[in-house]
Amino acid sequence: MYVALTESWNLLGGYAGYVSLGHIAFFATGAYTTAVCMSRYGISPFATFLLGGVFAGILAALVGFPVLRLRGAYFTISSLLLAVVMQLAFLNWEFVGSSTGLWYKPVPVSIVANRTIFYEAMLLLAIAVTLVARRVERSRFGMGLAAIREDEDVAKTMGINTPWLKMKAFILGAFLAGAVGGIYGYYMSYVHPDITFSMNASLLILLMAFFGGCGTWSGPLLGAVALSLVNQLIVTFIGAEISRIFYGLLLVVVIIFMPDGVLPYMRGLLAAKDA
Amino acid sequence: MERATKPGRVSRFRPRGLIGMSYILESIISGLLLGLIYALLSVGFGLTWGTMKILNIAHAVFAVLGAFLAYWIFVKVKLDPILSLPFLAALMFLIGAVVYKLAVRPVTRAKDVVMASMVATFGVATVVENLMSYFWRPDPRVLKPVYSGSSLFIGDISISVGPLIGCAISLCSIALIYWFLHRTYTGKGVQATWQNPTGAALAGINPERVSLITFGLSIASAGAAGVAMAMVYAFYPAVQSVWTLFVFLVTIVGGVGSVIGSALAGLLIGFIIGVSAAFLPFVWTNVILFALLLIVLLFKPEGLFAT
Amino acid sequence: MLEGVRVSRKFGGLRALTDLDFAVEKGRIVGLIGPNGSGKTTLFNVITGLYPADSGRIIFKGREITGSKPYEIARLGIARTFQIVRPLMGLSVLDNVTAAVLYGRENIKSMAKGRERAEEHLKFLRLEEWRDAPAQHLPAADKKRLEVARALATHPDLLLLDEVFSGLNDKEIEESIRLVFRIRDELGVTVFLIEHVMKAIMGTCEKICVIQYGVKLAEGTPEEVSRNPAVIEAYLGKKKSC
Repeated sequence: MYVALTESWNLLGGYAGYVSLGHIAFFATGAYTTAVCMSRYGISPFATFLLGGVFAGILAALVGFPVLRLRGAYFTISSLLLAVVMQLAFLNWEFVGSSTGLWYKPVPVSIVANRTIFYEAMLLLAIAVTLVARRVERSRFGMGLAAIREDEDVAKTMGINTPWLKMKAFILGAFLAGAVGGIYGYYMSYVHPDITFSMNASLLILLMAFFGGCGTWSGPLLGAVALSLVNQLIVTFIGAEISRIFYGLLLVVVIIFMPDGVLPYMRGLLAAKDA
Repeated sequence: MERATKPGRVSRFRPRGLIGMSYILESIISGLLLGLIYALLSVGFGLTWGTMKILNIAHAVFAVLGAFLAYWIFVKVKLDPILSLPFLAALMFLIGAVVYKLAVRPVTRAKDVVMASMVATFGVATVVENLMSYFWRPDPRVLKPVYSGSSLFIGDISISVGPLIGCAISLCSIALIYWFLHRTYTGKGVQATWQNPTGAALAGINPERVSLITFGLSIASAGAAGVAMAMVYAFYPAVQSVWTLFVFLVTIVGGVGSVIGSALAGLLIGFIIGVSAAFLPFVWTNVILFALLLIVLLFKPEGLFAT
Repeated sequence: MLEGVRVSRKFGGLRALTDLDFAVEKGRIVGLIGPNGSGKTTLFNVITGLYPADSGRIIFKGREITGSKPYEIARLGIARTFQIVRPLMGLSVLDNVTAAVLYGRENIKSMAKGRERAEEHLKFLRLEEWRDAPAQHLPAADKKRLEVARALATHPDLLLLDEVFSGLNDKEIEESIRLVFRIRDELGVTVFLIEHVMKAIMGTCEKICVIQYGVKLAEGTPEEVSRNPAVIEAYLGKKKSC
């Protein structure tokens, strides 16, 4: 699941260089869409997860319009604001269950079957999103984003329609995250602002992207796979909070020592050893 | 809340249902008090952003830490938070220095300092928040010295002592910081480095020392702000993300790096909080505040009161 | 081809450009000179849309482009280089140019064709050996050529060159002068250049505009301008009678 989330974040974050701390908001939109659809209308999530993606995309379009015009730091702050404000808003909105969250009946299948379905669905999504990321990176779109990341003013003089490209990356990333959220909502059968909007997840996304290397499609994949494993281990054997502490520390270490990702760093180490 | 007018006074205001003049005034005053507390919370943040281009997302979490430390001192040693404040500030300064050495200074060498500092401090914030959560449990705490429950009465208006003390702490701290920046030698060095790093270095000011002091000061002020906040609100580790929101709000509206700007922004925001709390349901207050933030971000990102 | 009518631009209290008129005719090489701080780069920035003009109009190929966005202006056919070179650092030399081709006016959308075309541009500027190197590793003079390659890759009708001759030795200046002529003659691109290096200006330009403090001081052929007393005064100061 994290693979898909991180790859979708990376479209804007790594390719275009616009670091968003609020990506989780799109994920949550998707999750809540499923939640609401299932609890109120009883619609199967396999129809609605795309709808979750659509809503997330619409949110991105609305928000992106003002927010993407801001420079780096301000953009990141705004993205963080988006997530937190949404969280607070959902805490008070009865339509989505306000502070008690939303319980709903899962599809009547056995627990084991449930898990398998979830796993396979996520795997499919992960593959899909990674492929999308790969395609984008190698395309003209990807080149444009890279130009924006390197020097946005120059990109403009090159004829690149920067607002439009940024918006596309933002919406695409949001749509994908929303779809992921949609499936997640199905599996969890419970949504609550504090859980679904977890800042912790935002941290993990960032960490996985930076750890793996954010300029390419393979980076987030590597980061997500490696760190998800580690995460599971720590959470199971030591404790949830410790894992978060570990992640915070790891993020600090990564950004200081290996801002381009773990692979270039390793290569650098090896090269230094040979010299 | 109906308030009886004083005998002999002709009331010129017809209370609209529950809303009477005194109520509005009370609301505004408590809003202003709160605003100044938010101002203190933000001053340190603006300081590191303006001087060192460090966006310390962990600023608010240190405020929570300060609140917790004051709480434990109060509970274990029975020392009143106001009295323990100087000690607390010094302790936070040291903590800030350590964090600076470990996590912040390496980041200043990065290609994009702002971005890198944001990500790094995001990590730091998570670490500290979860450390607190792990050791001290995530339950809400309240700082309740003897006087915090009572209220002061001025005429018809009652002012809660808790926020009043919090505001007093803020005012004193802000004044201290201002005095430090503008009247002491070291402080002026900080300002010089902010305005012209190369020039300042050439003039013999040690940028390393300046950065260290600035960051330490920033965290110390965060700690003090945490105590002030604790006088008004209950706190728990996870509240730091909400407090972070307010830090951004005040800093962006007030302008980065300007102490006076933050104070004024705090007052403005406090005023808005007061007014909207008097007339509108609670949730709308936050909506208005964030709408304001959005507008400022879009049209005048340097802040309304930037120097 | 490019015309400016009473263009003005202020920065706070500073009047960078005041009522500036200028014209660049198609197929010519026109120069813009003036002492430091006279507003030359600001004019380029206004023309390319990076800053809006406070008043006045800019007309390109008969169309009004005042107030248009930079990428719109680029799509209409104006390309520029920057005085302090700004290559896309993290990308390879080839990618720098390919990106420009893909978003340029030849409407090439396929990556493969884009790369092909980019190689052609690199050949034109004799940068082929550097094609896979990261742009940041290029020596300064080659970075300048990369700037030009990138600008040309968008297939413009008008090229704005901002002090491309600075810091070059004599041999390099000669080569670059030839390059400017090649750009005009082989590619059919009109050139408008800002320069301080006198040899370059005199060697390339057919017409020169002189500005000082944001105001036009003189305009004419190189000979006319070099004899203009106001221009001489601007550069050398008033002649003191002893």
